[in-house]
Amino acid sequence: MFRIFPSLRHKGLQLTSGAFAMVSVTLLAGSLPAAEWATLKGRFVYDGAAPEPAAITADKDVAVCGKHKLVNEELAVSADKGIANVVIFVRSKKVTVHPDLEDGSKAEPAVLDNKDCRFEPHVGFVQTGQTLTIKNSDPVGHNSNIATMKNSPSNSLIPSNGSSDVTFSRDEAIPATVTCNIHPWMKAYLVIRPNPYGAVTAADGSFEIENLPVGEELEFQLWHEKGGYLDEFVLDGKKTDAKRGRIDLTVKAGGTDLGDIVISPKLFK
Amino acid sequence: MKMLVRTLDMEYETVSAFAAQAGFKTPSGDLIRRDTRGHLSSGLFPVWVLGGVAVFLLLLTTTGCGKTAAASYRLNMVESAKQRLKPEQEQQVATILAALFGTPDEPIAPSECGLDAAKLHLAAGPVRSDIVGRKNGLYREHCAHCHGVTGDGMGPTAAFLNPYPRDYRPGVFKFKSTERADKPTHADLVMVLRNGLAGSSMPSFALLSDAKIDALSEYVKYLSIRGEVELALMRAFFELDDEDQGRLPEDREFLIEEIVLPVAEAWQAAEDALIDVPEMAADIDMAASIAKGKELFYGNKANCVKCHGVTGLGDGQVNDYDDWNKVVLQAHKTVQGGLEQAGEASTWDMDADEADEHRAELAWLDRFQKVLDGNALPPRTIRPRNLRQGIYRGGMRPLDLYYRIHAGINGAPMPAAKGTVPPEDIWHIVNYIRSLPYDFNGTLGVDKPMVARDRL
Repeated sequence: MFRIFPSLRHKGLQLTSGAFAMVSVTLLAGSLPAAEWATLKGRFVYDGAAPEPAAITADKDVAVCGKHKLVNEELAVSADKGIANVVIFVRSKKVTVHPDLEDGSKAEPAVLDNKDCRFEPHVGFVQTGQTLTIKNSDPVGHNSNIATMKNSPSNSLIPSNGSSDVTFSRDEAIPATVTCNIHPWMKAYLVIRPNPYGAVTAADGSFEIENLPVGEELEFQLWHEKGGYLDEFVLDGKKTDAKRGRIDLTVKAGGTDLGDIVISPKLFK
Repeated sequence: MKMLVRTLDMEYETVSAFAAQAGFKTPSGDLIRRDTRGHLSSGLFPVWVLGGVAVFLLLLTTTGCGKTAAASYRLNMVESAKQRLKPEQEQQVATILAALFGTPDEPIAPSECGLDAAKLHLAAGPVRSDIVGRKNGLYREHCAHCHGVTGDGMGPTAAFLNPYPRDYRPGVFKFKSTERADKPTHADLVMVLRNGLAGSSMPSFALLSDAKIDALSEYVKYLSIRGEVELALMRAFFELDDEDQGRLPEDREFLIEEIVLPVAEAWQAAEDALIDVPEMAADIDMAASIAKGKELFYGNKANCVKCHGVTGLGDGQVNDYDDWNKVVLQAHKTVQGGLEQAGEASTWDMDADEADEHRAELAWLDRFQKVLDGNALPPRTIRPRNLRQGIYRGGMRPLDLYYRIHAGINGAPMPAAKGTVPPEDIWHIVNYIRSLPYDFNGTLGVDKPMVARDRL
């Protein structure tokens, strides 16, 4: 019954109604340490010539922002065809989480920097409960307007060298957008998940998710700003259909390397 | 315009269908030969007899013996199209909503929402009296023509107003004494109803009794909670697993716990979450405070100048949208982008599956476009407030301006200064802002008061 939203209000439910099947399963799963933990890694590859990103003309704070070569970051492909900013995360609600990583508030703060009139990183990953520190390394003032669906939206002024902390109590099915109303070209995404199991690919397209439970079949979801849910790719040399970007994977003892996950340019049109 | 025509259309269609059934002449002069039960008639009756029957029946329908159709809530079609809901999923949302919140004539609300049924009764339904001297149906009498029966901000007059009337369904309200992301308190809503919103089409309802304003505020909360629950339901389909086969669980416990409570609790929490405003020092040196406020206004910390402009006329950032308009704007972009892309593709290059997918995508885009044409007003940019007019939507008390600067304005681009600008500095900015309408000293290169009309 609570299968699809066990993370919502789960604290209250744990206290008041432990009898609900799903909740007790989560509790049980949470309290039993899995025998082993391992890493999932791989690399997203663009099956075509790397597209040239379009330049952005800064029309606000030109004296500062005009100096930086700003480009549209929707689709960033490296020289060796790695696709940056692909998001991969565990979608299964039923997942054994490493006991040290369960509590997001104990994790190191995630950082979103307003730097060179863009957001760094362009796509970020935050666990519920984890602090997100929004910084401003620019000499000009910014604001960071976070449009969430389930969490309270926020929009704080971030002065030069200032910072603002935000936490999220609920996970979001769709990455939240962050924009700056002063500099309209600035846009970032935040992936907000109930566990630490997610990653955003680096500039070369590679990712690593550490401390996954070994031998547990988990449903992962793949998302990209331009490509949406990546529902078609070549994995292990085989054409794979992943409805809504959902794919079941099991991490082996010692870790699993998916190798190259090759995606057709047509998904990014 | 469309909205107005549609509302009238409904009645027009009912009437003309009736007339046709009764045997009115069509414009081409043919007699529609049907009797009142819809059977083809033999044509033996002269036209005037049939005409007379029609007039009689028309009178019946308009003088009260016939029943007017019960008012119904409109589904959030833009969100439905965005989430690609199927007709049966829309039906499920409507069914769940009706079970939880009733109808515009018979509103109910889960007890968890903490809404007062007597107040809702007073505000809901058609305008009528049940006790001599007591009028019910206040919402439809005073609000629905702009805000719509559903509270979607799309009543018949909405398209003619700028800014558009508030759409309550996302549960976002601008003018309040709580933090940016929080709900307004009941007293905040009462204040908006009593004072109106200066500079917008929202009038003051100060002539209504306290009890009536109270009932209407409660009803706005009801519509807002209902709208947020609708949004949450529509978005929940996306999170279903394959084995759910595209249906949401319908047990009440799930719906209340997972969907209704988060919304209801936010409303209740607002009542105790007022912004703590330290009083402005009584012996403040006003000239110095205004000067400090000016510095902050132009400075890189508060950064007011970026949007409100060097002149304070609200012309610094004129290409931005508020959250309500952004939803529609984004939807238009999705449809246009999708159509452009689809235009480049040809089914010749596709296998059967791809071609099916392509056609399904086109059908969705076509439907989305129709939804935007019929269920959304054209998006408009938002204007940062012109600070030289001394007209402030959310109230002109220094306290109101303090709230706006401290918390920002939810739903609008205005960010919160909280945590960045200390309270005493917020008071300096308030004092500077309040001095701007009287700032005729020629610093703008003119020797007369700056009026927005002259500049824009």
